[in-house]
Amino acid sequence: MNRTVFLLAVLLVMAAVNLTTVKLRYGDSTTHLKPNEQLWRVNLVMNLTGQGKAAKVRFTLPKDTERQFLYNEHFDDQGLNFYIRERSLTKNRIGFWRAELLESTKLVQYTFSCRLNKKSYAIPEGEKLPKDALKKYPPEFAVWLDSSRYIQADDKLIKAELKKIIGRKKEAAVVVRNIYDFIQGKVSYRSEKGSKDALKTLEKLTADCGGQARLFVALCRAAKIPSRIVGGLVIKKGVKNITHVWAESHIGGQWIPFDVVNKYYAFIPDNYLEFYRGDYSLFKHTGLSKFEYFFIINKTKVPPVDNPWSLYVLPVHFHNIIMVLLLLPVGTLVVSFFRNVIGISTLGTFSPVLLALAFREISLEMGLLSVTVIVLLGWLVRKILDGLKILLIPKLSVIITMVVILMLALMLIGFHFGTKSMLYISLFPIVIMSWIIERFTIIQIEDGVFTALRTMVGTTLVTVVAYYVMGISILQSYLFSFPEGLLIIMAVLLLLGRYTGMRFMELFRFKDLIFKRGKRS
Amino acid sequence: MSWFNIFKQSGILNMNRRNANVILRHNLRRFYPFVDDKLRTKKLLEEHGIPAPKLYFSIADNYDLKHIRQVEELKEFAVKPARGAAGRGILVLVDKENDKWKTAAGALLSMEDIIYHVENILSGLYSLGGVDDSAFLEYCIRTHNAFSRITYHGVPDIRVIVYRGIPLMSMLRLPTKKSGGKANLHQGAIGVGVDMVEGVTLGGVYRDRFIDTHPDTNAVVSGLQIPFWRHILEVAVKTFDVFKLGYFGVDFVIDASLGPLILELNARPGLSIQLANRNGIMPRLKLADKLLGDKKIMGPEQRMEVFHTISKKFD
Repeated sequence: MNRTVFLLAVLLVMAAVNLTTVKLRYGDSTTHLKPNEQLWRVNLVMNLTGQGKAAKVRFTLPKDTERQFLYNEHFDDQGLNFYIRERSLTKNRIGFWRAELLESTKLVQYTFSCRLNKKSYAIPEGEKLPKDALKKYPPEFAVWLDSSRYIQADDKLIKAELKKIIGRKKEAAVVVRNIYDFIQGKVSYRSEKGSKDALKTLEKLTADCGGQARLFVALCRAAKIPSRIVGGLVIKKGVKNITHVWAESHIGGQWIPFDVVNKYYAFIPDNYLEFYRGDYSLFKHTGLSKFEYFFIINKTKVPPVDNPWSLYVLPVHFHNIIMVLLLLPVGTLVVSFFRNVIGISTLGTFSPVLLALAFREISLEMGLLSVTVIVLLGWLVRKILDGLKILLIPKLSVIITMVVILMLALMLIGFHFGTKSMLYISLFPIVIMSWIIERFTIIQIEDGVFTALRTMVGTTLVTVVAYYVMGISILQSYLFSFPEGLLIIMAVLLLLGRYTGMRFMELFRFKDLIFKRGKRS
Repeated sequence: MSWFNIFKQSGILNMNRRNANVILRHNLRRFYPFVDDKLRTKKLLEEHGIPAPKLYFSIADNYDLKHIRQVEELKEFAVKPARGAAGRGILVLVDKENDKWKTAAGALLSMEDIIYHVENILSGLYSLGGVDDSAFLEYCIRTHNAFSRITYHGVPDIRVIVYRGIPLMSMLRLPTKKSGGKANLHQGAIGVGVDMVEGVTLGGVYRDRFIDTHPDTNAVVSGLQIPFWRHILEVAVKTFDVFKLGYFGVDFVIDASLGPLILELNARPGLSIQLANRNGIMPRLKLADKLLGDKKIMGPEQRMEVFHTISKKFD
């Protein structure tokens, strides 16, 4: 019997390892890595400090292009409301994090893996500049041809400068080359706080990447070549918070990248990650007293697992629920260990897991405090009800109602005096709470106050451990990428189920028997 | 590892081993209902002519509650849940003063209080897993004189562990002030080991620690001869043929006028009996396995012989 269980456990572990290996080696065609390709893991950390009112942050999320591929996106929204909208014109994918009430500091994270390729473009020769660009291009191109606030394409000075640069040349390829050479030759680079607009760049002839790209786009647009700003990140291992912009021009039916600052002509290197198109800023936020962000970039340890059956394909707003599901078995593992190896009894077998999951939303301290308050007050109410001789099920229902009232009260008190994270107390497993109160009372009546309090302490201990184990972020991301890890948890549970040794607490229980065995008085 | 060997040598059956290697292996699931439901236990015992406290009547639902008025004239009786766990929900009424009954712990209860208690039993407050339950009223045991020297409130009982039909270990359980008249060790009763050959008590255990005297009466707990000892052993052996569980505890009470009665059976008997006997039960389990071999069926007389071989070695 022992051997069968052991064998089954080994089989489960092997199945998990095999599934993982298969995914890594023979993943979907889009994820199959060539030997010298690099995969990056990018972790955007945003530190939001609220002002006690509604807050909103937007960030343009990268998306798949012909040369960049994203995998394993993971959002840790810290209880903020998160959603994604795609802009119809630019096709930018914008992520919004909002909170109706943000008072404390939240560490919102967005993590993804990406594969980036370099690509060089051939500019078709013979393409002439159009007389009337709006007729040549479809209406949605108007925005890439018009003058805008910082890209003053129809300004007199810009137009005059363009004339000086290109003279009477009419070929698009030549015009772009001349504009590129002009900026590269005349404008010198200087790091600035806030980029200049196109006109100012032309005037001062010094600018950062933003100013130079704007001038390039403005001159191209003046020459009736549809052009736009591209914003992104130059990937390098380490921590950084400086982003980069370059330009793209539409020539001969395709968008061709130009980076004047880093000298890439019709070429994009394999460390450029694109975020957005158009003259926007990467972040925008309202209602915050402080906003900090940085990117942590690493060669990835979690390989790509994007395939039609990966959990990542499910809509992002379900990811949090899926994470809870994945963590549930981890929690039960903690409970089983404490039951069968340590020997700590709890109020209700799996209630510590559910409590720990609820504590993920409000903090651990506030969670423990609220549970204590609710259980003690609930116990008092339960005592009073006992005197009234109410039948069991209605009595439990009264306790549930009482718990709801207490939680509403705690939410209001938290709102007015304490922390607003208290509002998340509404995620508490109410029915479980009422059972905890009921068990606590019965144990107190039948086995005494000491036993009841000891069981309560045991419940708290297991909850805290489950909370920390389920909070391990490596565990979370690996389980999300490789849910077959649950099979390994099952194997460990099976082995725990055949553990027939002493429980740690039994050493104390049988202490007299172990050391004073056989002595008779 | 000498540290580890201490535990091995102590021969303690621990909770995990009891559950995985003894109960799961020897107790078949389908035989559980006969011991988990005290009403079914009673019925089965009666069919086989094994004495148990007389059942007055059972209450299966709120409609049956009207019968409870029948006991108005009764002075003493016990109210129990049919599927109560760990001695919970048992109400023992020992006397009646005017309109109120006195419990073993000394509290006074009215008829309404008793009805409320029965209602709680029916809705599953005390049952295993909180499922709906039935309640029953039965004869209230009068403690045998032999125990009056060392008992406080309540009725002492004798727990005998029967493994594959052979009694292996036994203890006398004495209620204390702390246990509120109940004989369950985890509720604060004391356990006193019993010599299997002679039926004489040895040292005791209270809250997992060795003791020599009763904490309430200060009476020495050892050296007491349990009356009807041979008879108790024979009945314990016989119950195996009736209930077919490989490992269980039988709880006997000795009534002043009726003698030994079986109060209930337990398919998951506790481990503290080892503390009460100041010896682990593992060596006895192993010897029993060795003597019985794979033989499935063995008559009561043969098992009694095996019992004598084992008890001679250990007691």
